Amino acid sequence: MDYLVTIAVLIAIYTILATSYNLVIGYGGLSTVAHPIFFAIGAYTTGLLAVHVPFIPPLGNVVLGMAAAVVASVLLAGSALRVSGDYLLIASLGFQLGLLQLLKNLEFTGGPGGLSAIPSTIVGPMRGPIFLAICGAAALACVFAVRAIVNGPYGRAISAMRDEELAFTALGRNAMSMKIAIFAIGCGMAGGAGGLYAYYFQYLSPDQFDVLASAAILTMVVLGGMGTAFGPVVGAILLLAIPQAITFLQLPPSIMAPTQGIIFTVLVLLFLYLRPSGILGGKA
Amino acid sequence: MNPVLRTEGLRKAFGGIVVSDNVNLSIAAGEILGLIGPNGAGKTSLFNLISGVLRPDAGSIFLNGERIDSAPLYKRARMGIARTWQNMLLFRTMTVLDNLLVGPRDYPGESVMRLAFGRGALRVAEAAMRDRAMGILGRMGLEQTASSLVVDLPFGQQKLIGLARTLMNDGPLLLLDEPMAGVEGAAYETMQRVVRQEAEAGRAVCVVEHNVSFIRDLCSRAVFMANGKILQDGTVEELIASDILTELYFGV
Repeated sequence: MDYLVTIAVLIAIYTILATSYNLVIGYGGLSTVAHPIFFAIGAYTTGLLAVHVPFIPPLGNVVLGMAAAVVASVLLAGSALRVSGDYLLIASLGFQLGLLQLLKNLEFTGGPGGLSAIPSTIVGPMRGPIFLAICGAAALACVFAVRAIVNGPYGRAISAMRDEELAFTALGRNAMSMKIAIFAIGCGMAGGAGGLYAYYFQYLSPDQFDVLASAAILTMVVLGGMGTAFGPVVGAILLLAIPQAITFLQLPPSIMAPTQGIIFTVLVLLFLYLRPSGILGGKA
Repeated sequence: MNPVLRTEGLRKAFGGIVVSDNVNLSIAAGEILGLIGPNGAGKTSLFNLISGVLRPDAGSIFLNGERIDSAPLYKRARMGIARTWQNMLLFRTMTVLDNLLVGPRDYPGESVMRLAFGRGALRVAEAAMRDRAMGILGRMGLEQTASSLVVDLPFGQQKLIGLARTLMNDGPLLLLDEPMAGVEGAAYETMQRVVRQEAEAGRAVCVVEHNVSFIRDLCSRAVFMANGKILQDGTVEELIASDILTELYFGV
């Protein structure tokens, strides 16, 4: 039971990550790979505050984690987008790798061993279900917030910006500030997911926020359907459920270990060939 | 009367190529000015300098007496400089109506804050924008295309949508970059009528165009440019009578 609850919590957290990444890359057209590092910024900020500053309530810590991710994202986008949109990809990769090194080498973040002993906050037999309810509600809130953003007048402006940025700007729209806003909202959500993750698992390791995590979140978005409101939800469920389902096959570890990677790769290749716009996307 | 637009000593060079060389130009309200010249004369570059796509190396630009050459592109559009593009730059994944709705100077949907906290006011503004857009499409006889994707329309109608989107900006200056290129028949007539109406309503209009008969029908004044310089500025009749145009179009 605990096991299933943990999977469900993970699905909720990755739904937030994939949904917010979809806002940034699928709708906003902003090429970034650094989404996991904003997840990490939120997680470490929340975790460190929970460990060292006991008088802040847990919700306050999660909000501060989000705020830290928002500040970092504005600094990154504000500088990288000033040069040209394409530089965001390179800058985001550098930002992610650099910050990962910091997390691995700073003493107060726990170094390569990670940050442990984050207080539990919720105790007792209902811990799992309560966390699941909180994370599930947060995931739903994110999905519907993104849907509200990409529909209506703001969404219309986003698509126009993606289609023809020059004409969009020449109509009086401030494309730069819109991009920074989209990036900040997406990264803030990832930071919030990090806060929830820190409180539930009580342990953070820097390795879980590396480029492989970027690939996993991107795969969720592509599989589910980039630029669709519910595609990332489907992607997160599939990509977290499939590896768990495989473990029930009870294969020997020597086969098990590479199987997941192979299945992900095959899935991505299949989707790129057969259904490039994802499960929920329209026919391309 | 003070001109709507005035440039003084405008200069822009890319390396050794001077695309704008001491350009002094003024356009009055209600006037349709034709801007002609061979390819590479600097006509589109002049539009880019005025609208803010390019920053001048020297010189100044005034809109209704206010100096604007340090304002970025989007702010100049909000000040009321509306322009079209040679290759239209329509929002191709969007419907005709949505293309137009992004155009107003004070588009209300750009702020996340307003999205979160001002939904009532947003709805009212949206309804007003929609009426305005349908009105413009109506003037062009294109109401029935409102929900089509722009890319599904014939070329001439796409050109008109480019103009219609620009007209959502109700500012004092309208810059049209080759509005007639590739346009024939009914769309031609419509384009001419709408441009004339805009000038009659008091806008200053500047048209870059190779189609001399369009310029002759529409413009009272024309400017001839070559190599970044204004070579002649006068009535269309004077320009047609002079050798400059004959040389350009007939190679005599």
